[in-house]
Amino acid sequence: MLGILQFLKGYVRMKIWGVSPERFLNLCSNKNILLWDIRKDGDVYTMCISLSAFLQLRPIARKTGVRVVVLQKYGLPFLVPGLLKRKIFIAGLFLCVAFWIVSYRFVWDITLEGNYQITQEVFTDFLTSQQVRVGMQKTDLDISALEKEIRRAFPEITWTSVKLSGTRLEISIKENDTPMFTKPEVPEGGQNLVSEYAGVITSMIVRSGVPMVKIGDIVEEGTLLVEGRVPIYNEDATIREYMYITADADITVEHSITYQDTLPATYIQKTYTGRRSSRPFVRLGSREIKLPQERPYLVYDTVIQGHTPMALEKLSIPLSWGQYVYREYMNVEHEYTLKQAEALLMEKELQFLKTLEEKGVHIIEKDVKIEEGNACWTMEGWFLVDQPTGRAVNIVLEETVPEVGE
Amino acid sequence: MKKKQAEGPSRREALIDSLSLPKDILLGALRVTLTGSQEAWVENYKGILEYTECQILLQGKNCQVCFEGQRLSIEYYTNEDMKISGCIRCVRYQ
Repeated sequence: MLGILQFLKGYVRMKIWGVSPERFLNLCSNKNILLWDIRKDGDVYTMCISLSAFLQLRPIARKTGVRVVVLQKYGLPFLVPGLLKRKIFIAGLFLCVAFWIVSYRFVWDITLEGNYQITQEVFTDFLTSQQVRVGMQKTDLDISALEKEIRRAFPEITWTSVKLSGTRLEISIKENDTPMFTKPEVPEGGQNLVSEYAGVITSMIVRSGVPMVKIGDIVEEGTLLVEGRVPIYNEDATIREYMYITADADITVEHSITYQDTLPATYIQKTYTGRRSSRPFVRLGSREIKLPQERPYLVYDTVIQGHTPMALEKLSIPLSWGQYVYREYMNVEHEYTLKQAEALLMEKELQFLKTLEEKGVHIIEKDVKIEEGNACWTMEGWFLVDQPTGRAVNIVLEETVPEVGE
Repeated sequence: MKKKQAEGPSRREALIDSLSLPKDILLGALRVTLTGSQEAWVENYKGILEYTECQILLQGKNCQVCFEGQRLSIEYYTNEDMKISGCIRCVRYQ
C-alpha cells in the first residue's frame, strides 16, 4: 500500500556527497522529510525521497555543503507527461474504460441451475415472456418481482433465488423432490381385490374386506382375493345388509414369468479415419459468423470447441469464438462374439431383474439360456417369483334383496 | 549545588519508577528494538553522528549508541524513528 502511494505521488532516487552528509540527513528529519533506503557507497550516499520533499532540499543542501544529484525518477507524475504524447493510446484507454462502464449497465449472461423437470427451453421462454433477456439494462430488472413470478408460474418450484453477479444473472431454483400424490377417488360402491397372476398364494395380510382365499390356495388370473362387500349380520346370524368398502390387503403370489430377449448378431461401430478439418466461428450474441464450407466428408461427426471470455471474472461478454471440428468416420459392421453377447444379454437381464425388485418382486428361482438364432442371439428362460398382487376392481351392484330374518 | 544536581535525576527516576511511567518518554532514553541480528528500530535519538557501511553512530539525549556490523543501511529515517538493516554484530553505548 505504501509502495502504491509512493508511486502515485512520485519519488526520486538521489545521491549526495559533500562536507557533512550526516548533518544533511539530520536536517531532513528535523523538517519531517522522509528518507528511505539510505545506503553508503564509498563517499556517496544514495537514498529515496518523495517528489514534493525533493523540492524543499535546496536550502538544506546549501547549508550543509552537500551536492544532490538525481539518479532515477519513479512514479506517476513522471509517467503522465510521456503518456500524454501518445494520443492514440490515451484514446484507446479512454474508450476501453468507457466500454467497461457502459457494458456493466447490461445483463450479458443468464444462468439457470437446479432445474431437473423444467427444461432450459421452457424457462427461457418464460424469461422472454417476462422481458428478461440477454442485453437488457440492469435497471429494468426487478429481482424480487421476478422471483415471485417464477414461483407463481411454476408451482413445482419450492425455492428460488435470483441474483446479479457482475453482468451475469444467476437464477437458482429448487424443485419439489417429493412426488405429488393425489388421493385416489373412492368409488361409492366399494372395490374388490382380484389376482393379476395365476399362481399359489404365499402370504396374505388383509386390512379391510372379506378374504376369499387363504395361503396355499391356487388362484387364476382374475380370481377374487378380497371382497369389498362386507355382510352385517343380525343377532340370529342372518345377513341384515351389506356394507361396501374398498378392500385393502398385502397378498403375494408365487408364479413363473417367462423371459425372452434378443440381440442382433452384428453391430455398427464408428471407426475414425483420422481425417479431420476445422471451421472457425465467431459468435456475437445469437449471431454466428463462420467461414463458408462445403460438406467436408461423406460421414462425419462434429465437435464444437468454444471459448467465452470473462473479464474480471464477473463481466461476461456476449462474444465467443471457437471452431467446429469435423471428424470423418466409417460405419464398420462387427459381429458379436459369444462372450460379448453373453455379457450384453446378462446385463439386460440384470436390468430386468432390478426393475422387478424395485416393484417388490422376490426372485426364488431362475433358468435362462443363451442360444444363437437366425442372425441374432436369443436369451430365453423363466423366473419363479414371489410377487405382490391385488388389482382393485369396482363392485358391480346387484339388485338383490338381502335375506331378512323373520 | 553539585549534590543537588547529582540527586536531581535519581529522585526523578525514583518517582518515575514508583509511578511505573515509561522512561523513554519522560527521560528521553533511547529505545532500541532488535529483531535477530538483521533489523533494528531506534527511537528517541537526536541525530546521526556517523554513518558508514560498518558503523552507525547515533546521538541520544544522554548517551550515544553505536551499531557495528557489515552492509549496514538505513531503511528509513524520520524525526521519530529509524530502521537499520544489515548484519548487526554489536550495539555499544558510549
